[in-house]
Amino acid sequence: MTKNAPPTLAELQDLFQTAILKADDSILDLIPGNSRTSHDVLLGVYRHGYAARLIGIVRHEHPGLVAYLGDDLADEVIAAYLAEHPSQSTNARWVPNGLPEYLATAVLTAEQPEIAELALLERALNDAFDAEDAAVLELSGLAAIPPEQWVDLAFVAHASARRLNFATNAHAIWGALNREEAPPAPARFDPPEPLLVWRREMTSMVRVLSREEAMLWDEAARGVAFGALCEMAAVYDDPDNAALRVAGYLQGWILGGALTTATLTPKTAAPRPLASA
Amino acid sequence: MTATSTNDRPSTAIKPKYLGFGLGLRPQHYSDILDGDPPIEWFEAISENYMVAGGQPLRMLERIRERYPIVLHGVSMSIASTTPFDPGYLPHLKSLADRFEPEFVSDHLCWTGVHGVNLHDLLPVPYTQEALYHVCARIQKVQDTLKRPLALENVSTYVQFGHSEMPEWEFIAEMTKRTGCWLVFDVNNVFVSAFNHDTSALDFINGIPADRVVQFHLAGHEHATTHIIDTHDAMVCDEVWELYRAALKRFGPVSTIIERDDDIPPLADMVTELGKARDLAADVLGPAASVR
Repeated sequence: MTKNAPPTLAELQDLFQTAILKADDSILDLIPGNSRTSHDVLLGVYRHGYAARLIGIVRHEHPGLVAYLGDDLADEVIAAYLAEHPSQSTNARWVPNGLPEYLATAVLTAEQPEIAELALLERALNDAFDAEDAAVLELSGLAAIPPEQWVDLAFVAHASARRLNFATNAHAIWGALNREEAPPAPARFDPPEPLLVWRREMTSMVRVLSREEAMLWDEAARGVAFGALCEMAAVYDDPDNAALRVAGYLQGWILGGALTTATLTPKTAAPRPLASA
Repeated sequence: MTATSTNDRPSTAIKPKYLGFGLGLRPQHYSDILDGDPPIEWFEAISENYMVAGGQPLRMLERIRERYPIVLHGVSMSIASTTPFDPGYLPHLKSLADRFEPEFVSDHLCWTGVHGVNLHDLLPVPYTQEALYHVCARIQKVQDTLKRPLALENVSTYVQFGHSEMPEWEFIAEMTKRTGCWLVFDVNNVFVSAFNHDTSALDFINGIPADRVVQFHLAGHEHATTHIIDTHDAMVCDEVWELYRAALKRFGPVSTIIERDDDIPPLADMVTELGKARDLAADVLGPAASVR
């Protein structure tokens, strides 16, 4: 911008954005007041509106986090996050996308890892809520498969499904807050607690898995066939009822709507999808 | 002339049809809309709320679209930004519009950020020839991409720029003349901006080409004595109802919604307030206010 020349549109927008994000007042030279108040009061509407709106967006996506931290600390933490991570998304829904990672390292929250994990759980639930649709696999879809072919049966997880391993009791904290109860005291888990988040019809779900189920889910989600899953279960625990245990987990995943497709994957043939529901 | 002309550019010659009286679609009202039969003739859906992969938002919009006409109304197109469009935005919006067949697609005459940042606000434009040229070029790009008409809404502003070369309404009139875009006329925003800038809301109404307005917005605001803040969280005030009356006299029957973005009341309360718009339009326009 040359001296005394009006700014170009690009220069003006750069100045205006800087005024909002960095509290720089250079833009005020370009703005008259009105007959009742000064230009800085009018510009302040944008500045205040930005902070209030963005904090409101994050609070809306993370009610459990806000309840756990309390209003004042939540707003302080969110404001600090936004200062380091201005939104780059056209959808307000994604504004807090980097929040769990930020909380894991931020000075205010890093010493309490359940805070970042609480945010991570809420993000996973939010992501599951509007994840891609897919017809889910029904038990009836497997009825026609001859028993000898089950060994080659592989499965596809629903797009909403996400596995988490939590080193804290953030899931129990979230559950209590969700029920509007007092949260339990923070606790650490070693080994971590395995969780599965997914969407059942229109509702985001989360549940704790046993370590064996978590291991088998992870392998199944990678396309490992039923037969191999049974071999893994036999190594992991009692080999006598390994197939029964895997079948039980599988039934739970199917009834929960966490799988979309079953595919026969014989070693000598290309994968052949079976009908999903 | 068909909706798409031979050179595959969108035609804006066919005016979107009059839809009557509707509401801004809000998730809080999904079940009351779908489980009941409220006297609402159409809905305006926030485009970005449905620019997601799947799940409840799209399922609900599908069910509502089966029963009602809709308009897709965006908040992040950033038509006046000097930063290129977000590469994914327009293709995603086109895909949404192709799926749900809105009567038209709309957004705001504003910018929301530059350098890849989105401030999630509807920021003011300087009314200069440079800005006009820039905005018109971007509108053409949007209409070419969407292959359907675009309507732009006047926003509430709190500041104006000393180097503006024309009033807002002149900028808007020239914009629609050059691009053929349609206009969403937010009556509340006209009232708010006129108060904040010591200008005349009636001058604004009289400066807008009468044949380009395809939608009215009605909303509430917060009066801060020295200026007005557009909160969209309150009932429509008497002054805005009076301005709506003046707008009806100038623009005739125009699809109307009441828009609430915060402190959203039960659907029944919104329907009651919408009835006031319907009665006022009938008073000004007579039978022409009804959807035929």
